[in-house]
Amino acid sequence: MVAHAQRSPFDHAPCFEDMTSSLQSTARQPKGMLKETREVVALARKFKEEVMRPITLSMDRQMQKDPEYLPWEFVRKANEWGFYTLWVPRIFGGKGYNSPSMSYFLEELGSECLGLSNLIGVHYLAVVTMFATFNIRLINKLLREVEDGQKTGIPCLLSLAITEPGAGTDVEEVELVDKGNVGCQATKVEGGYLINGSKIFISSGHVSRWHIVICYEDLKNPSDTMLVLPVKTGSKGFSFGRKEHKMGVKICPASELNFEDCFVPDDLVLMNKEQNQKNRRNNKQTNSQMIDYVVSTSRAGVSAWGTGAARGAFENALDFAINTEVNGKRLVNHEWAQAMLAEMYKNVAISRLSYVETNYANGLCGLYKTIQFKPLFYYFKIVPKIVIDYIIRPIINLPVTTWVFRKIQLDGQTDAQFHRTSGWASLAKFTGTDAGVKNCQMALEIMGQAGLRQDRRAEKILRDSKLLQIYEGTNQLNRINLFKCLAAQGHSQVRVFEHE
Amino acid sequence: MISRSEIKSYLSKEPLFDDMTCSLKATTRQPAAMIKETRKIIELARRFNKEVIEPYALELDRTMQKDPDYLPWEFVKKANEWGFFTLWIPKIFGGHGYNIPSLSYFMEETGSACLGLSNLICVHYLAVSTIFASWNLSLISKLCRLVAQGEKTGVPCLLSTAITEPGAGTDVEEVELVDRGKVACSATKVEGGYLINGSKVFISSGHVSQWHMVICYTDLKKPSENMIILAVETGSKGFSFGRVEHKMGVKGCPASELIFDNCFVPDDLVLLSRDHTGKQKRGVKETCGQILDYVLASSRAGVSAWGAGAARGAYETALDFALTTEVNGKTLANHEWAQSMLAEMYKNVCIARLTYIETNYANGMYGLFKTIQMKPLFYYFKYMPMILLDKFAPMILNLASTTWLFRKIQLDWQSDPEFHRTAGWGSLAKFTGTDMGMKNCQMALEIMGQSGLRQDRRAEKILRDSKLLQIFEGTNQLNRLNLFKCLVAKNNPMIKVFEKE
Amino acid sequence: MLSEKETTIIALEEDVVEFTETKPTPPAPKKEAKSVDVKDVKIAAKKTAPRTSKKELTMLAKAASEFAKKMLAPNREENDKYPFGPFFEDALEKAFGVDFFHIILPEDMNGMNQGMSALSVTLDNICQEDSSLGGILFTNAAAQELMIQAGSKAELERICSKETVRDFLIALPVFNNPSEVKHLAQAKKTGDAYTLSGSLEYMVLGDLAGQAIIPASIAGSTRYSYFLVDLKDKGISKSEPILSLGLHACPAVDLELNHVKATLIGQEGKGSDYFEKMADRLHVAAASMALGVMKGSFKEAFDYAKKREQGGHEIINWSEVKMILSNMAIKISNAEMIIEKACKAVDTLEAKWETRSRAAALHIQDMACDLTTDGIQLLGGVGYMKDFGQEKRFRDAKHIQALLGITPIKKITFIENMI
Repeated sequence: MVAHAQRSPFDHAPCFEDMTSSLQSTARQPKGMLKETREVVALARKFKEEVMRPITLSMDRQMQKDPEYLPWEFVRKANEWGFYTLWVPRIFGGKGYNSPSMSYFLEELGSECLGLSNLIGVHYLAVVTMFATFNIRLINKLLREVEDGQKTGIPCLLSLAITEPGAGTDVEEVELVDKGNVGCQATKVEGGYLINGSKIFISSGHVSRWHIVICYEDLKNPSDTMLVLPVKTGSKGFSFGRKEHKMGVKICPASELNFEDCFVPDDLVLMNKEQNQKNRRNNKQTNSQMIDYVVSTSRAGVSAWGTGAARGAFENALDFAINTEVNGKRLVNHEWAQAMLAEMYKNVAISRLSYVETNYANGLCGLYKTIQFKPLFYYFKIVPKIVIDYIIRPIINLPVTTWVFRKIQLDGQTDAQFHRTSGWASLAKFTGTDAGVKNCQMALEIMGQAGLRQDRRAEKILRDSKLLQIYEGTNQLNRINLFKCLAAQGHSQVRVFEHE
Repeated sequence: MISRSEIKSYLSKEPLFDDMTCSLKATTRQPAAMIKETRKIIELARRFNKEVIEPYALELDRTMQKDPDYLPWEFVKKANEWGFFTLWIPKIFGGHGYNIPSLSYFMEETGSACLGLSNLICVHYLAVSTIFASWNLSLISKLCRLVAQGEKTGVPCLLSTAITEPGAGTDVEEVELVDRGKVACSATKVEGGYLINGSKVFISSGHVSQWHMVICYTDLKKPSENMIILAVETGSKGFSFGRVEHKMGVKGCPASELIFDNCFVPDDLVLLSRDHTGKQKRGVKETCGQILDYVLASSRAGVSAWGAGAARGAYETALDFALTTEVNGKTLANHEWAQSMLAEMYKNVCIARLTYIETNYANGMYGLFKTIQMKPLFYYFKYMPMILLDKFAPMILNLASTTWLFRKIQLDWQSDPEFHRTAGWGSLAKFTGTDMGMKNCQMALEIMGQSGLRQDRRAEKILRDSKLLQIFEGTNQLNRLNLFKCLVAKNNPMIKVFEKE
Repeated sequence: MLSEKETTIIALEEDVVEFTETKPTPPAPKKEAKSVDVKDVKIAAKKTAPRTSKKELTMLAKAASEFAKKMLAPNREENDKYPFGPFFEDALEKAFGVDFFHIILPEDMNGMNQGMSALSVTLDNICQEDSSLGGILFTNAAAQELMIQAGSKAELERICSKETVRDFLIALPVFNNPSEVKHLAQAKKTGDAYTLSGSLEYMVLGDLAGQAIIPASIAGSTRYSYFLVDLKDKGISKSEPILSLGLHACPAVDLELNHVKATLIGQEGKGSDYFEKMADRLHVAAASMALGVMKGSFKEAFDYAKKREQGGHEIINWSEVKMILSNMAIKISNAEMIIEKACKAVDTLEAKWETRSRAAALHIQDMACDLTTDGIQLLGGVGYMKDFGQEKRFRDAKHIQALLGITPIKKITFIENMI
C-alpha cells in the first residue's frame, strides 16, 4: 500500500519519534516498572498521610514566624523512610527504583506540600547532575555516603549549585552563558582547584552535606571552561550565606553558598575540559549535552510538581465545593462549579501526561536509556547485593567504566534524540507549572474568603506553585528552548538566543 | 517497605491509580505490532495529504462558498480508491484490520491538511463504531461487507450516524438529559419491522452515505429506555434527504437533513432495541448509556485528534509564514516573541495529541477496542489468511451465540470504573483537543496579520473549520460536565450531575 | 483658592516628612498640627461636593501618592510580616489624620462628602505601594456605606465622632456575601433589644476596630439582618489574626459570639438589600485597588527589566520581555479608562451605573491576577523573594479579587441581574 522506496514522509516535521514516545515504549519498557510505580505511589500516599499532612500547614506557619528555621526533623524522617536512596541504582548502594516512578512520587507529595516535597526531590537534582557527568567512580563515592547516611540516621543530602546573583536564566543555557555575567570561578592550583564567588537560591543548601557546584575556569569564556566540583559542607573556605525569604515553598531553604579560596582536590572533579576531550563532541557541546541531560529529567520532575500543585488545588476546591452551601445548594451541584472543577481535573491530567511522555522519551533516548534497557534493568533488579559489593563495585572504580558509559550515553546519543528529550522536558516544564498556577487561581476564585486563609491550604498552594514557573529555567526560557529543539530543527535560517 | 494490602488500599483512593496511568499499563499490554502499523498509517496519511488533499482543499472550500449545494463525490471516490473506508474494519468483517487507535493519528494527519475532507473519510467510522458498540455481529458483518464490496467495485459505500434532531442536540448525547429533551424521531413497531417518522439534522456525510445508523425512540415520552438503532439505506421508501446546511467551515463535508416519513425498516436491520438491551446485566437505560459511551469514548478521541490536527495546521501555517516573512528587517521566526508564541502552539498540538492517545489506551484496555487488542486475538486476525476469514467468519458471526458472547464480554464485563474511565477520558480529550485547535487558530491569525485573513493563505479556513469541533460530538460544555460526572463525581451520592436547576 | 490647595498639599507633605524622619521613636501624635491639615483638605473638598472636580482629584491623588511613598513603601516588607511582626500603627494613624477614612462620609459627620471617584483615586495610589492599608480603607468605607444605605445615621454619627482611629474603624466581613455562603450569627430579640450568638468567620479588621457590623439571622426568618456590636463586648471572643494569602496588614479574625448586645442596622431582614446596594457602589473601589496593584507591579518590572542583564544585554531588549511588558501596560491603560468612566457613572448616577461598577471590578480583578503573575515572572527568582514586593502584589491581587464574594458567583449574579 505504501511504497517504501519513496522519500519518507517523516522527513517533514513532526517526525514519528517526536510524536509517539509512549507508543514506542510499548513492549520495550520493562514490565517491572509498572509494579514498581504502584509501590512507589502507594508509599507516597502513605507518607503523605502519616507524615506530611499533620505538619504541612503548621510548618508553613512556623516559617512565616521564623524564616530562619531549618526543617531538620523532617529531613531525618524522610531519611528514615529511605527516600534519599530509593531511586539510587542498586550498584551505588540504593534501592534502584526506576527513575520515572519518582515523577509520580513527586506529584503525590507535591499535591500535599511542595516545600516538603522539594526537600526530597532536589536531592535527586544533584544526583542526576552527577549521573549526567557519567563519572562512575565519583558517583559511587558520593552515593555510598548517602547510603551510609541512611543507615546511620544522619541524613546525607546533596544539593546542586548553579544560579548566581548575576546569572539566572543565563546559566541554564549554554548559548547564553558566554554573554552572561557569571562570577563563580575555579582556579587551577597544584593538586586541585580553588573556588571563589557565590551561588544563590540553592534549594536545600543549608541542609545538604555535599554541594555539586558548577563553576568556570575562565569567567570570560564560561561555556568552554565549565567545571563540576563537589564541595562538602564544612570545607575550608566554604560557608553558608543568607537564607532567602520566599513567598512560598518556605520549608525548603533557598540558600546562599559562599566560596573563598575553597580548595577542591583533583580526585573530586566530576567533569572538566580535560575529561571532555575524550568525547566525540567538543567541550562546549558536551557541556551543553550534560546540562540538557540534567534538565531533561529534572524538568519532568518540576512538571510533576506542577501537576501536584494543580492536584492539590483541585482537591482542595472540590472538598470545599462538596462541603459548602451556596445559595441554598451544595456548591458542587452548581453547574458552573462542575465545569470549573472539570477544567481543573483536566489541567491535572494534561500536566501528568506531559511529564509521563517526557519520561518515556528519557527512557528511550535520554538519561534512563541504559538503565531501562531490559536486560540491564532486570539484572540490576535481581542481582544479589553481595555480588554488587564484591564484584561490581571494584569494576565501577575503573576508569574504563566511566569511559564506556560516556561512550554510550554521551557519544551514542544522536542530536535528534537529544533535541527530543530536551524539547519535551521544556514542554512538560512550562505546561505542568502553568497548569499548577492556573488551578490555584481557579481554586481561590471558587473558594472566596475561605481561599484566602492559610488554614484552608489553598492560598499556600498558590504561593508555593508560583515558584515552579521560575526555577529550573523560567517558563519563558523553556518556551524558547522548546522552539529551538522541536520547532526550529531543519530550518537553517532560524536563530535562537541571538542578540536583538 | 509497604505491604501488598496497603498498596491496594492506597491505590484505590482518588485519584485511582488506574485512572492516572493508562499509558504505563498499555505499554506492557498492547501488541508491539501496533507501532509498525501506526507508522505505516501516518506515512500513508502524509502521502495522501500531499497528493490529494493539499492540492484540493482550498479549491473545494472556495467552490463550496460559491455553490453550497455541491457534493464532493469525486473526493469520496478517491478516498475509496485509497481504501480508507475499510482500512480500520476488522479483517473478519472484510476490512484491512488496522488497529483502531491508529485511526486517530490518521485523523490528526489528514485533519492538519483539511478538516472537511478528513471528516468525509472519518465520520464513516463514527457509524462503524456505532454498529460495533451494539455488538450485533451478524448485522455488523453484513454492513461492513457491503463497505468492502463498495471498495472493490469502486462505488463507495459510506455509513453515517444520525443522532441529532432539530429540537435536541446536546440532549441526545447524554442519557441523563434525553428524557427532558424534545426528541421527535419515533419508531413504531409494526409487523415484521418498524416505521420511522421524524427528521434528523446536521448529519455529517449524510448525502454521500449509503447507509444511515438512525437512533430513534419507540416511546417519545421515555426515550432513555426506548432507544432503538436502525439501519436505513439511501433510497428506501419513505426516506429522503432534506437540505444541506450552509456552514461556516468544514464545508467539504455536507451536514445533511434526513427526513423519514413512514419509512419501514425490517426486523433484521435492527441493530439494537429494547429486546436486546433488556437482556444485559445493567438496566435498559444504563445499557443504552453504556453503548452511547462506548461510541463516544472512541469517537471523541477522534474529534480530539482533529483538534490536534487543526492546532497543527494552524501552527504549521504560522511557522511557514514566520519563516518566510521579514518583519523590521529580520525574519519573523527570529523574533523572540514569535518563537515564544510558536512554542506555545507546538505545545498545544502535543497536549491535544497526548489526550487522544491516552484515551485510546483506555479504550484499548477497558473499552471498545478491548477484545480486538487482546494479544492472541490481535495476532490471530493479523496473520490469518484472508481466504479463511472470508469463508468461515460469516458462519460463526451469524450465530446468535456469538453476539451473545461479545455482548457478555464487552457490555456486562465492563466494570463501572472502567466505563467511567473511558467515557471520562473521551470527554477530557474532546474538549482539550478542540480547545487547543481553536486556540492555535486564534494565535496563528494574530501572528499573520492580513495574510491570516485571506482564504488563499489557509489560516482563516482552519479557524472556520476548527470552531465546529468545539460544538459537535457534544459541546465542550457538555463534555466538561461529563468528565465531572465520570471522573470526579463517580458514585459520590452527594453530587448530582445533569440535575435540573 | 488654588493657592489654598497648594498650601494643603505642602502642609501635608511637610507633616509626612517630619513624621517619617522621627519614625524610630514616634512622638505622640501632634493633634493641633494635624487638625489644621484635616480642615484644609475638608474645605477644599466641601466647596465642590458632591462631585469632585478633576483638579481636586489630582490633588487627592497626589496626596495619597505622597503619603504612600513616604509612609508605606519604605516598610512594605516589614509591614507584610504581620501577624508575626509589628502592626503599622503609625501609617494607620497618619492616614486617619489626613482623613482618608472620611472620604465618603457626609459633611455633617466631619466627612469629605465625596463619591467613588475620590475613594477610587485614593485607593489606587495607596495600593500602588501597599494594598494592606487599601484593604483597611476599603473595609471601613464599605461598612460606612452599608450604614448609610441602611439609614443608620445616628449610629454612624456616633462612631464618626470617635477620636482615635481604632475606635473609629468599623469591621465588616467584606469578603463574603452572606446571602451566598451563609456565614451568619444568630440573633435573638427580647423586647426591643437584640443579642447575637454563634460564630462568624473572617471578620476583617476584627482585631483592630472598635465596632463591627455582623450579619445574623433572626430565628424564624429566612432573610438576614445587619447588626452593630461593640467589639469590646465581653461576649465576644476573637481568634488570633488569621494568616492569609495577602493583605497581611489588613487582618481578619474569626469571632465567637455569646449573647452579645447588638443594635439593628436599618430594618430586620433587609441585610441583603443593603449589602447589594453597598456592593453596587463599592465594586468600582475594589477595581481601583486592583489597578493600584497592577501599576505597582508594572513599575517594578519595568524598572527591573531596564537594569537586569541576561545574555549580555538588558532583558528589556528581549522582544519576548517587551511583549510581556506591553501586555501589562495595555491592561493598565484599559483599566484606567474603565475605572474613570465607571466612577463617573456611579457618582452621577448615570443609567446602568450599578452594572458599570460591577463589570469594572470583575474584569479588572481578572486582569490584575494575570498581570501580577507576569510581574513576578519578569524578575525571575528575585521576583519570588520578599525583597521587591512583586510576590506581595501577586498575592494581594488574588486577595482583592475575592472582595465582596466568590468571583464566579459575582459573575453569575451579574448576568442574572440582566435576565
